[in-house]
This record gives sequence, structure tokens and C-alpha cells, in this order.
Amino acid sequence: MEKSKTFHRKKIVAAFFVCVLLFAGLTARVTYLMIFRSEHYSQLAQDLHQRERKIKAMRGRILDSTGAVLADNRTVCTISVIHNQITDPDRVVSVLSKELGLSEETVRKRVEKVSSIEKIKSNVSKEIGDAIRACQLDGVKVDEDYKRYYPYGSLASKILGFTGADNQGILALESSYEEYLKGKEGTILETTDARGVQIEEMGEERVEPQSGDDLTLSLDMNIQQYATQLAEQVKKAKEAQSVSILVMRPDNGEILAMVDVPEYDLNDPFTLPEPVAEEEKQDALNRMWRNACINDTYEPGSAFKIITASAALEEGVVTEEDTFSCPGYIMVDDRRIRCAKVQGHGTETFVQGTMNSCNPVFITVGLRLGVERYYHYFEQFGLLEKTGVDLPGEAGTIMHKKENMGNVELATVSFGQSFQITPIQLAATVCSLINGGKRITPHLGVKTTNSDGEVTHTFSYPVREGVISEDTSRRLKSILFEVVENGGGKNGKVEGYRIGGKTATSETLPRGTGKYISSFLGFAPAEDPKVLALCIIRQPTGVYYGGMIAAPVVRQLFENILPYLEKKEYTDSVQP
Amino acid sequence: MAGTRGRKKSEYYFDYSLLFIILFLVGFGLVMIYSASAYDASEQMGNEMYYLIHQGGAAALGLVAMLVVSRIPYHFWEHFTVIGYVVSVILILLVLSPLGIEANGARRWLNLGVSVQPAEIAKLAMILFLANIICKMGRKVRSWKAFGFIMAPVLVVCLLVWRVTDNLSSAIIIFGIAFLMLFVASPDYKRFVLITTAVGAVAALAVYVLSKSQITADTGFRSARIMAWLDPEAYASGKGFQTLQALYAIGSGGLFGKGLGGSMQKLGYLPEQQNDMIFSIICEELGLFGAIAVIVIFVLLIWRFMVIANNAPDLFGALLVVGVMGHIAIQVILNIAVVTNTIPNTGISLPFISYGGSSVLFLLIEMGLVMSVARGIRLKDV
Repeated sequence: MEKSKTFHRKKIVAAFFVCVLLFAGLTARVTYLMIFRSEHYSQLAQDLHQRERKIKAMRGRILDSTGAVLADNRTVCTISVIHNQITDPDRVVSVLSKELGLSEETVRKRVEKVSSIEKIKSNVSKEIGDAIRACQLDGVKVDEDYKRYYPYGSLASKILGFTGADNQGILALESSYEEYLKGKEGTILETTDARGVQIEEMGEERVEPQSGDDLTLSLDMNIQQYATQLAEQVKKAKEAQSVSILVMRPDNGEILAMVDVPEYDLNDPFTLPEPVAEEEKQDALNRMWRNACINDTYEPGSAFKIITASAALEEGVVTEEDTFSCPGYIMVDDRRIRCAKVQGHGTETFVQGTMNSCNPVFITVGLRLGVERYYHYFEQFGLLEKTGVDLPGEAGTIMHKKENMGNVELATVSFGQSFQITPIQLAATVCSLINGGKRITPHLGVKTTNSDGEVTHTFSYPVREGVISEDTSRRLKSILFEVVENGGGKNGKVEGYRIGGKTATSETLPRGTGKYISSFLGFAPAEDPKVLALCIIRQPTGVYYGGMIAAPVVRQLFENILPYLEKKEYTDSVQP
Repeated sequence: MAGTRGRKKSEYYFDYSLLFIILFLVGFGLVMIYSASAYDASEQMGNEMYYLIHQGGAAALGLVAMLVVSRIPYHFWEHFTVIGYVVSVILILLVLSPLGIEANGARRWLNLGVSVQPAEIAKLAMILFLANIICKMGRKVRSWKAFGFIMAPVLVVCLLVWRVTDNLSSAIIIFGIAFLMLFVASPDYKRFVLITTAVGAVAALAVYVLSKSQITADTGFRSARIMAWLDPEAYASGKGFQTLQALYAIGSGGLFGKGLGGSMQKLGYLPEQQNDMIFSIICEELGLFGAIAVIVIFVLLIWRFMVIANNAPDLFGALLVVGVMGHIAIQVILNIAVVTNTIPNTGISLPFISYGGSSVLFLLIEMGLVMSVARGIRLKDV
């Protein structure tokens, strides 16, 4: 018995040590989980326990160059009820229905609904929100929120764009500068139990939102307002389909105004001027929001003779004194192409040909250049690429392929037909031809500033030098000055200023419908242009010649803005 | 040997360390049950003390039973071992009758005025039955034949517990208790090492095969559990859910824990938080230090069992203590292993701490048995 007892004891001790060994293993396992995996599981557990609530960031404002606020934020309130916190449902119903202008039944239905949180109304003005808050009703939550607000309504609607339900930029500048404007959302992290009930004593973690940066534009609200007025006047007077006015600085590409009437109300961007069927609504809205200066192409017509002239002068295939003879038409291969003046201009110099906007002169000059060289300049002037304007949706140039271009195509391109470019492309190209040969990038965005007023970002835009020589640029400007001073653009003349410019009238496609696009491109002062304006009137009724209807618009614009710009430049230069 | 009775009390041994450890575990268990269940109890039962009161009642009853049993000489039970075995088999079968209670998808309980798990009774009955039968066999127990002869009734109960009450974990524990008692009773090592190795190899092979497959609609309940064990995060919303929630609790405890009552996981995230998963709440609230302290207490308890078994006046007493030691050790090891995802998930409660009236009651009766054996030790023998 004694002997057997010894092995029993040995075995019991062995069993004990096996247990101890297993316990040691488990201790190691627990230690591993609680030390080395602690961070991993703590994080997962925290993600599980915490509920994230977003705090919207205040969107940056959009300012014009004078500091006027074009896009602002307004505080609005969202009123909700938390069912299980309501102590006096009848009072809640009566106060909310009274303040919010809702029927008692509607409010009562939501108040009595068993849910964690029930929204009663959003986009409530701050005054009403404050009034409800002042009633100190248990279970009623008033959350403040920001809503985009455009103080000038429809002014510059096509370039500002608007924001969506989540305050995100949807169109135009609001969309293209989204990353600067939107700011950073803040968060409230609440700890909850498995049913989602917040555990009050755990408190909440708050990450404050960061407001978006303000965006300053080169746009001048005064010029924009005046240009809009002019565009609306001429649209009404000529019963035109639409009128675009583009004002920019040739030396740096800054856009001072961009009008495309009819504009739309930025504070109510989803309401059409006249109601349409539901399935057509989106198309109609897209049409209403469309910015013809950028999103649409057109045949530039005679204004494009500026480009042909520049190429020809640069290449030396023509001089100002070269004489031409216009019988009212010109034969290109087997094709007879008419001049605007059917009886012909007779004998004229190149300068006179430009003043007369004579098609045969420019066809001759174009043919002298030939397809190869013409196409080379077309490309060098930047016409094949987009301008790179800081607005979304810029349309590209629609042009013949070089290998498909014969003499007939070349002839039509020479006076601005059979291809399409955007208005902004024409303006930007002419800018680079009259500023001494710098291809500038048209733009609106200048800088962003944070809420403390510090500049956070200054935008710079590519400039390509040597598009044409200084000499050609100078000669071109003097020819275009003659056009306004004594030629077809004389309606663009402004007392006391030297204006350069070119008129254009083109029939819309398909031809023969009697619909025209009339335009005038002017700049001043002619020798050292500080401002360039392009006015395009689409489908005017009655007189449709660009020199007759578009040039006066630019003249009126210049009459007002040239003194204004001079004064502004003067005050800017004397200020430190 | 039965003549130890009647001598002066002071000569006899009373294991105060054991008593202290038991009281501590029961008290600590009640605190943790209250902490882990208060939220759930107030949500489900409308009384945050619900689980505490029930467990407290069972524990009080158990402590009285323990003291009574500790006063009864353990040889008294020798006469009832076979009856105990038969009764426990009948009780298991009764689960199939209308007396059976189903909870959490398994029919494991009997309604005998209070709900009782027959498996808990079977564990105690098995310890007494085996201790008796092994003693009766004497030296014959060393043969393979006797080994098989003893294992046969054990396996019958195991099979019943597994198949009838759908409680694999209790079946494993009963098998483990029997295995340990036979191991101690026989001088042979080879046989036991062989069986352990074989069981281990089969388990490893099964796991290997399953690890190569995916859970599909026709994957069995246990296979799915094993696959969820291998990668709980891949089955986070299904079979791996409970395990993963336990790991969240354990991992977020860190070194010193969130403090008693500070658990987040008990707020409805972790199922069975006052039950099989209570150890993870201990980890979350008391940290690594609390967890190791609990493990150390259990090691101390088993150490006391070893000391008592080694000094038991006879083989019957020693085997009783070994059986109880096996019961507690296996259950604690399996519970912590499950909670820490060291082995696949299976429902095993943590002795003395997990919520469960019949569990704590029968555990305390077992403690009473051990104390009774301890009383038989003459001080001069120690």
C-alpha cells in the first residue's frame, strides 16, 4: 500500500504540474491579447462603441476683387424631436406647429412616433430656431447648420455656380474650387450601448470643424453688374436668344466680367423660368445653368480675321500696303465664295480690307499662307487646346483635320467659318496677339484667404511667351485701331479713348434659317490694351450686323468702365 | 481507517486556506456577476440585481450544503455511488420529458422546482462512482481490460450528455475527470500519453481539414465554430461574433483595466457576459493584473487539492479530491481558453464566477467533499 501510495502522489503532482503548465500557457495568451493586441482590439471596440456625428464646416465665401461678397453662408436650423426625452408632448406640438407653420396633426404624428430622433423641419431661419430654443422644451433639438446664400441673386450665376444639399459645390466655381472652399468637417464622437443609447457619463469627443478658405476672384462686381445690365437691355431690344459679354485683362488673363444672359437665381437654382414636363426638367435645368462663354462653341466669323491677319503679318506674306481687288466674290478652286458686300470693295489695301472685313482679301491672304503654315499658326496661337480657364466643362475647338484641309476649307477658315471655338478661346487668343505675344490663361481665381485673413494660396496660371513677335502684335493693334476709328467697327468708338476691335456676323448652322450670331470684340487703349471685351448676341431679330448691334454694347460698356478702371488703377497704385 | 472518527478535534486538519479561497471566489464571482449583468438585468428584467440575487441565493444554499457535507465522513457516500450513477443517467434522460427546459437553443435543464442541469449532477456522481469502482478493483485497475471496463460507463454518460442534452463541453469535462482519475490510479504513463497524443492528433487533423474549407450553408454547427475560431474577424457577424466581442473586451482591458463597473462590452455588445464570457469582462474591467490574479487563485485552489489528495487518509479520499481537482482544473482551463479564442468556442462556465445556480451549488457540494477528506488527515501525518 505504501508503495502504491508513492506513485499515486507522483501522479497527482504530475497532474498538478500539467495544470500549472496549461495555466501558464493561458496566462501567456491573456498577456499577449491584453498587451500586444490591446491597441488593435481597443480600436475595434471603440469603433463599435462610438457613434460619429458630423459637424458641418462653414464653407469659404467667394469675394470679388473689390471685396464684395458674392457667395456667403447663412445659419439655418434643423428642428428635431427625441421621442423618449419629451416630457410635455402637447406643449411641444403646439409650440412647434405655431412656430414652424405646420399643422398640429403633422407635428403630433412625428412627436408621437417612437424613434431615436425624428426630424420635424430643416432650413428653418435662425430667428425661428432661436425662438423655439428659448421655449426650452424637453426633447426638442435645434441644430444649427449653414446654407449657401448668394447676396446678389442671379448676378454672375453662370460663373459662381451653387451648392447641393450637403453644401458641396455643384457647378462652376463652387465646384472647381471645392477643395479650398469646403473646409474640413468636424466630428462629435458619442459613446453608446449596443442599442445606440448614448451613455451620458462617458461624455463626448469633439473635433472642431475647420472653415473653408475664402476665394477672391479677379471679377469686378461693378463691371459684372453693368455688363449684365447692358446684356439684358440688348437681349430685350433685339429679342435675342442670349447675350454673352466677356471682359478680361489681356496682359494677365484675369476675367473682370463674364455675363451670359439669361442668368438664373442662385438662391433658387432648381426653378425654371417656365414649367416643363418632369422628364424634360433636367435637360431644361442643364440648359439654364450652361455658360455659353465656356461650354458652347460657335463660328467666330469675321472676328477670326484677327488671327488670319496675325499669322500673315508674322509670316510676312502680306504687308499693310499690299493691294487687293475685290469683285464681290473670289474663286477658290472651283468654288465661288461671296464677299459680304455683293457689289465688291474694289481695289483696297490690306488695312482697308480689314476695315471693310473683306472676305476675298482674307481668303487670298489665307491661301498665300497655305494649309501647312496656317495650321501651324492655328496651333501656335493655342487654338487647338483648351484655354485652361478655371471653370469646369470648357468645350474644345472643333476644327478640320490638317490632312482633310484643302484650299476651300482653308479659305473658309481664313474668315472664321467652317470651324468652331468657344468665346473664351477667341478672347484669350486675341489677348495673346495684342499683348505682345504672351499666351495667357483666362482665369477668375486669384487667391484664397483663411478665416484670419491670411492668404493661404495665391493662384498662378501658365503663360506661354513668343506666340507672335512684338512687332506683329504692334502692327495688328494699329490695324484694329483703324477698324474702329474709320472702318466697320466705328460704332465701338469711345470719345476720348483709342479703341481697337473687330466686328463679326455669322449665320448659324444650318445656313439659310436667317438666324445669326452678331459679335464685337474691342480693346482699349489700342496701343497698350488694359481691357478687352467681347459681346456676342445670339439670334437677334431685325438688324443683325455685329458692327450695328454688338459694337454699341461694347462702346457703352467701355464708356463706363474705362474711367472706372483708370481710377481704380490709380487708387491701387497710390495705396501701399 | 474509518476509525479516524471520535478522536479529539484539535488533532485533525481543517484546510482554512481552501475555505478562504472558496469564499473569495464565491464573493468575487458575485461582485463580477453584478457588475457584468446589472445593465442587462435592468434592461431585460427591470431589476439590475436580478442575476445577483439568484446567484447569491444559490451560493448561500451551496455554502450551507458545503459545510454540511464537510461534516459527513466521505465514506458515507460509498454506498450511494451506483445509485448516484443511475440517478444521473435518469435525470439526463428526463431532459427529453416535458420536465426539460429549453434555453438559448439547447435543452439542458430540468425543472425540479428550480432549474437544474443534470450534467452538473452527473459530474459529481461520476467522481463518486469512479472513486468507488477504482478502489474496489484494487491492483486490477492497471490492465487495459480494466481500463476499458471502467471507461465504458463513463462513455455512456458522456454520450448521453453530448447527444441528449447537446452539451459537448460537459461531456468532455466528464471524460477528462475520468481520464485524470484513472491516470492517478494507475502507475502506467505510456497508455495515457498515447491516448492524449492520439486525441490531439485527431483534433489537429480535423482542424487542418476544416481550415482549408469555407463556411457554407451545409457546414455543420461545430465545423463552423472551428472555422470561426481560426479567423473570428472573417466571421465577425456570424459564428465569430461572440468570440470577437470577447476579444474586444479582453483587448480593451489593457494592463490595469477600465475599473470595476467600467466595461463597455457588457452594455449589450457581448452575449453571455455574466455567463460563459464573464472572464472577458474581468479582463476588461480589472485588466491584465485582475486576469492573472484570478488565474493565480485557481492555481492556488488546485494546489490545495493536490496537497489534500496527497495526504488523504486513503485511496478513495484521494481519488475523490483528484476528481474534483480535475473537474475544476479542466473547466477553468477550457473556459479561459475559449474566451481568449485559444480553442474553438464551446459553452463552458467559469467555476464559482459564472452565473449558474446549479453549477455553483454542486461545485460547493464538491468542495464540501474535499473538506471532508481534508478532515480525515491527521495533523502528525502532514
